[in-house]
Amino acid sequence: MKPSQILAPVAVAVALAWSLLLGDVKISVLVGVVAIAIVALGLDVLVAWVGELSIAHAAFFGIAAFTTVNVGDRGAPWPLAIVAAVAATALAATIAGLPSLRIRGLQVAITTLAFQVFAERYLFTRGDVTAAGRSLPRPAMLEGDVQLYLFALVCLALVLVLRHRIAVTKAARSFVAVREAESRAPCFGVRPGPTKLLAYALSGAIVGLGGAVFAMKAGSISAKEPFLLIESLQLVAIVVVGGRGSAAGIVTAAFLVKGVSQFVSSVPLVDARPDRVFPITSAALLVASIVAFPDGIGGIYRAAGRGADRLLGKGGARPDPRPQPVDPLGTARRGSTLLTVPRPLRLRMPVPALLRARDVVVEFGGLAALDRISLEVRRGEIVGLIGANGAGKSTFFNAVSGLVRASGSITFREVELVGRPAAERSALGIARTFQDVGLARSETVSTNMLLAQTWLVPTPAAGAILGFGRSAADERAVRHRAEIALELFGLQHLADVRLGDLPYGTARIVEIASAVASGPDLLLLDEASAGLAPEEAHALGDRLVALRDELGITLVVVEHHVPLVRRICDYAYCLESGAVVAEGEPAVVTEQPRVVASFLGRAHAATGGRVA
Amino acid sequence: MLARLITGLTSGAGYALVAVGVVLVFRSMRVLSLAQGEIGAFGFFVGLRWADRGIPGVRWHISPLLTLVVAVVVSMLVALVVERFVVRPLASRPPIDALIATLGVALFLALLEKEMFGTAAQFAPSPVGAWKIEVFDATLTAPRVVAFVVLVVVAVLTWALFTRTRFGLGVLATAGDPAVARVLGVRVRRVYRFAWIVAGALAGLAAALLGAAFGGIAPFDMTRFGLRALAGAVIGGLDSIPGAIVGSLAVGVLESVVGGTFEEPGTAELAVLVLVLGTLLVRPRGLLGTEGAT
Repeated sequence: MKPSQILAPVAVAVALAWSLLLGDVKISVLVGVVAIAIVALGLDVLVAWVGELSIAHAAFFGIAAFTTVNVGDRGAPWPLAIVAAVAATALAATIAGLPSLRIRGLQVAITTLAFQVFAERYLFTRGDVTAAGRSLPRPAMLEGDVQLYLFALVCLALVLVLRHRIAVTKAARSFVAVREAESRAPCFGVRPGPTKLLAYALSGAIVGLGGAVFAMKAGSISAKEPFLLIESLQLVAIVVVGGRGSAAGIVTAAFLVKGVSQFVSSVPLVDARPDRVFPITSAALLVASIVAFPDGIGGIYRAAGRGADRLLGKGGARPDPRPQPVDPLGTARRGSTLLTVPRPLRLRMPVPALLRARDVVVEFGGLAALDRISLEVRRGEIVGLIGANGAGKSTFFNAVSGLVRASGSITFREVELVGRPAAERSALGIARTFQDVGLARSETVSTNMLLAQTWLVPTPAAGAILGFGRSAADERAVRHRAEIALELFGLQHLADVRLGDLPYGTARIVEIASAVASGPDLLLLDEASAGLAPEEAHALGDRLVALRDELGITLVVVEHHVPLVRRICDYAYCLESGAVVAEGEPAVVTEQPRVVASFLGRAHAATGGRVA
Repeated sequence: MLARLITGLTSGAGYALVAVGVVLVFRSMRVLSLAQGEIGAFGFFVGLRWADRGIPGVRWHISPLLTLVVAVVVSMLVALVVERFVVRPLASRPPIDALIATLGVALFLALLEKEMFGTAAQFAPSPVGAWKIEVFDATLTAPRVVAFVVLVVVAVLTWALFTRTRFGLGVLATAGDPAVARVLGVRVRRVYRFAWIVAGALAGLAAALLGAAFGGIAPFDMTRFGLRALAGAVIGGLDSIPGAIVGSLAVGVLESVVGGTFEEPGTAELAVLVLVLGTLLVRPRGLLGTEGAT
């Protein structure tokens, strides 16, 4: 076990023991701090995972607290009041999140700001909403402040468990897919709309729990100060200063911003009242942190952990960023696991053409990017798509994977793809890569391997978090597949490296490995060899042939590197201005004057078109 | 009704001044600034303070007109600092980081105002005189009239800038692609500085005129008013100056008409929320915005 893995629990235990030794008054303050920490952890679900900023979380906090008091005062047992608060806040957050279905992140932030102002001026000025004069009797078992504090800690632990469940299930991958590349998320089987709403609902539910804790501490709520705009901004400050995505950092920041100011009677040096100095310091820290230290306190913790590991000699050296040689015997048996992917049975293929496009047209504002393209890919082939930039090669891939609206007919295993949602096409057995590596660069290699397999887990994201269905078994299965695919490509030593820290060539291979991990029948590779050195490109060619020969994956490659096309492709199509201008054996096609002209420019055609 | 409509147009003009700044910054840097309103408010607070207690050291009380000048100058300086030390270092980060940073600036400035001037609203004497005019049934105070006139001037100037000057074209080129613009010889940093200085000046003007029109100004007020400007900019389509003006005027009119018609508190805020959501639902890029700009 690494020292860093022992340090964290020890730190938590020490903090717990210390907090329990404080007097009743201070413990009561801590209950409020825990409530704020829970709310900030809820906001962080949106900010860190989905990359959307909400400036309405103080309003959600208010809705939660008022709901708890309103329900509790009407004689409902207190657990029911908490459930009501969680449900009401999840609903409110989902409604506030609806605009994100239509508009992008920056504008969504404005609509949440509008929601915050609406809530404080409209909702919270109404007596029936704000529970004026109502009170929540504190249950007998939570009478003492220490008991209430322990209860708050249980709630906090619950939230941490929930966040952990999100992190290790399909939900986190769906969120990452939306955050990093919303328009490409369907290729991983992720539907952006429902995914975002799930994130808002989860965020709201967590805030609901925080609000309930706050209400139980207060008993009755007379002031609406904790729920105003300034508090929404402070919540953002807590999340950013604590470090987006780091629960430990956020809890620390909540304590620093909301707790410490009530423990010290005056601030040294400036000699001012702490409740005046701390908020403004947190604002300054927010700006400083986002500019100079975007990982926040969580980043310091991680660095400390790494430092401890290195000091005690348990930290590994930086791994070699290149793929490693693979033991062919060892991987042969395991590799076949990747081939067993459940497919809808009616898809069994009666004809040789795996993919057939007929008269496919894609138009952008009246301009035809694809102009009645027809082509065919047979099972077991490696088909090359060549042509100059803008010829429509990537657009064809987008039409097949459903990222652009196409007319005409594209059938895959005799199933019509046109008109079918993009998110369903992965399950049919189509995987693809993108020209610029379509994965999450800020995530680790292993997370990215799971990202591509999101659709392979049949349980919906919300159910997977709660452990419904066969989610544990499904999760093991996709992790196993990821390991095998990494092993096949000699990447297993890079599993914990951030994708963005890898050289470009290795990142491309990771993307291919992630696509292979999802067990496709057809793999579309967009400029797989771009940015590779000649010898790397040659090795890539060998890998692609092996993919076909050993895993039976049919390949369509968009490729500019003519020698590679001639070496590995069985058939080639040349595109020009969105139409097929030549097809046939690669060696023949790449020699045709028209192809040479469109591909390399007229000058080369004049010299006889020698391209290889 | 007509009176409320005209009054609404003049407060909308105040919001529009802030919104034009928001759009200028967004156009040049692709940064959505939530701090614009509070930057203006901070400048005006400094002006009010000096009018009330005198400039520190010299104890010379400035006249109300000078509060406006101080508001504009201080806001410009703050905007410059924010551009140089907060927003520019974030250029290569995801857009949400700059958004959060400007939010932090708004929070910091508002809390600084609270610390220096207290929570209560500061009385704001009109910097442009106490005269009034009657337009149809509406009695318009001087700051409202001036806000509207300034808006017309700003509209004409920005139109001329973007269609008649090389510098304006440079701003447009920078918005399209900063790297390409740099190659074409546009001094991109100057464009960024220009956008923030103008945005700061407009925010200062707006704060002084709106503060006087509403009788006073409190910390966080301008983040709330700033919301109306942001709402106007979003409705108009974030990258369009005419859109921002039309959107802000619409927000001002809606707020004035709805707020005056219904007794209940908060109905104006509800109406603004519905207008923003409705517009974006029907037309996600805003009234005059460019497809894919956001």
